[in-house]
Amino acid sequence: MYGMPMTIFLFVCLFVTGVSCNSVGDKIYVDFKDNIPCVRLLNATHQIGCQSSLSGDVGVLHLLESEENLDWVLSSGPDPPYMVMLESTLFTRSVMMKLKSSSNRVAGVVVVAPNTNPSAGFSPHASCPNENSGVYTEKYSPSLAHCNATVWNPLGNNLSYEEFDFPIFSLKDDNDTQAMRQCYMDHNRPVNGSKPRYPLCAMQLFSHMSAVTDTATCMRRNSIAMSLNPEFVCDPLGDVNIWALSKPLNVTEKGHKPGESVIIAAARLDSRSFFFDIAPGAESTASGLVTLLAVAHALRNATQEAQLNTTIMYTFFHGETFDYIGSSRMVFDMERNQSIIDLDNVHSVLEVGQVGLHGDTKLWLHSDPVSRRNSSIDEEVCGKTHQKLELICQNQALPPSSFQRFLRARPIPGVVIENHQSTFTNRYYQSMYDNSDYLNVSYPPGLTPEEQLDFVTDAAKVLFDTRFTFHFITVMLCRGFVEQTDEVSLNLSVFFSPGNTTTNFYIGVNQQMSEPTILVQFMLANLTGSVVNTTQENCNNQKENEDDKETKHVRPTDRLMCFCVRSTCRTTKAVSPAFELEEYTSSNYSTWTESRWKSIKGRIFLVASHDLEMLTLGVGVGVLLTSLLLTFFISSKADILFNSGREPTNATY
Amino acid sequence: MNLERLPNEEKLGLCRKYYLCGFACLPFLWLVNVVWFFREAFRKPAYTEQTQMKTYVKRSALGLLFWFTVLTTWITIFQHFRAQWGAVGDYLSFTIPLGTP
Repeated sequence: MYGMPMTIFLFVCLFVTGVSCNSVGDKIYVDFKDNIPCVRLLNATHQIGCQSSLSGDVGVLHLLESEENLDWVLSSGPDPPYMVMLESTLFTRSVMMKLKSSSNRVAGVVVVAPNTNPSAGFSPHASCPNENSGVYTEKYSPSLAHCNATVWNPLGNNLSYEEFDFPIFSLKDDNDTQAMRQCYMDHNRPVNGSKPRYPLCAMQLFSHMSAVTDTATCMRRNSIAMSLNPEFVCDPLGDVNIWALSKPLNVTEKGHKPGESVIIAAARLDSRSFFFDIAPGAESTASGLVTLLAVAHALRNATQEAQLNTTIMYTFFHGETFDYIGSSRMVFDMERNQSIIDLDNVHSVLEVGQVGLHGDTKLWLHSDPVSRRNSSIDEEVCGKTHQKLELICQNQALPPSSFQRFLRARPIPGVVIENHQSTFTNRYYQSMYDNSDYLNVSYPPGLTPEEQLDFVTDAAKVLFDTRFTFHFITVMLCRGFVEQTDEVSLNLSVFFSPGNTTTNFYIGVNQQMSEPTILVQFMLANLTGSVVNTTQENCNNQKENEDDKETKHVRPTDRLMCFCVRSTCRTTKAVSPAFELEEYTSSNYSTWTESRWKSIKGRIFLVASHDLEMLTLGVGVGVLLTSLLLTFFISSKADILFNSGREPTNATY
Repeated sequence: MNLERLPNEEKLGLCRKYYLCGFACLPFLWLVNVVWFFREAFRKPAYTEQTQMKTYVKRSALGLLFWFTVLTTWITIFQHFRAQWGAVGDYLSFTIPLGTP
């Protein structure tokens, strides 16, 4: 009798609640939209980067107003640990080192990335990049080792190579970040020095890294097959080197090619910053690599017609930021006769370094003074004059460059083209600010993407003076064989893309190719090869037929047509020789690995005081004990309690 | 199993089995032996098999104490020094914690 209305009532309730579903979690937590963490990297001796605890680090949010305000976080604040929110002007070495030294009161750091670059410059890289992996060792030249003579990156504060045991995230300066600042202002701000009252605005960051100690430890833990499911904790950094020849050579025969003389024209393909997967690298990387691509394109017809007896190998090395991964691998392969040519075939090396020109800066050719003690090399390098490029033939070391790894193997003549005479002019070397804004790539408003491409092409010629740059590179490469370059439409926009997405030049781990690698590979194939008229299947199948050339199906990013290109462009693996030889404590080769992680996220919420939490727990435990007592009491006196009520009801039926 | 219903010879036989099997690196059998037969061996009024049972229980208790000290010492040393032992510590571990040395 009571069944029917009850079921109808339940059904109505379920219907109402089922349709509008509420999540308690959404009402409490506000998750970060994009997560830009700092991750842990390991090498033969150290671990660098950041680590959080396994279940995330929680801290009361504190917006740091000045460096003196740090005192609240470090000593006087009443509710540690704190999650410090820094504006970019306060993201300096002194603030970070102070936070690192008292990391029991610091739960984490969030850095707000500004929309404009800081005018004073900022470089988290070392002041002497790749100090121990270049050619300048104590044995080679004690006066030039360890940047004794020239400090290349004077603004470098070495933050990228420090170890932090709290998580550090980066936030874009948008509405969500403004909401966080507002949350701090509403709840956490101490008014007149008084203690802020609960509930307080808190933040939780998850970025637990699996690898620890150094590369040897983590590679060992990767390979221990004891447990039921072995867990990988780190991966070596690696990608591919891309190269193309001006004249085809037989690829299947490796080792020395008698009679061949090769000039290696090199550029680097990678960059980094303090945060993971953020590496705009506009001046440090993209300027040089675009210049070399333009040179390869410009010389394509000239080298085919001229029948030169030297071959030019346009090489793009990956991983140069991390102790010359790509160039050390290529030299290693050449020494083992695993590469297409031998070190004896290398005639000279011409490297294009940072060549972004601001205003009317000049270009300099750097050379190595120690190898120039040999008179034939000195004659080759310093014996020639160039019209608008300045030669540096004094006792100054080479800047950090891939050419140094070739010199480690044997003395070879070579120069490195840079836009600075001694220290870098790049104020944002290997930082997240080295972007298109720094190189002044800006579009007038109201252009379609097609027009923007043309604009960049024109702007490139004026602002970067790339044609100026590569005109004289072509002079050097052809040893006086001057070519008037035609108007070359440079597809620079893919590297200096407007809008929200910036190219990410970070090398990443070995498993996948980074985005610039794929772009450069196809662009190089397109610029140095010739179009073949076949279908896509035939194009991909023809790869194995030719020994000297490879066909690739090229898809330019801005147009929807795809076509097949036949070129000498190839890729070779760029993983450090230390991982081939399994010498994980090697000091000769790069041993950088990147840790793996399970989840990276962040969220903010309001947190109650510790006392309230304890009170809630206490009340709950009290209720439990009371109910247990009550049940025990009732069950022991059950016969008295229940029998007395039963007799009268028996009579009604 | 209710020991009350067993005849004394079977109780002794059970005690002996547990005692002997404990020598196969099974100290938990000795623990069971001690706990289960303690009342039988020491608190009940005397009967013929009880003296033999007493020796078994005493020896099980000794063996148990020995194993307890050895295992506690080894576990303390391992947990404290595993991180410092580097490769040796990793090869001795079944599960290696992530993210900590």
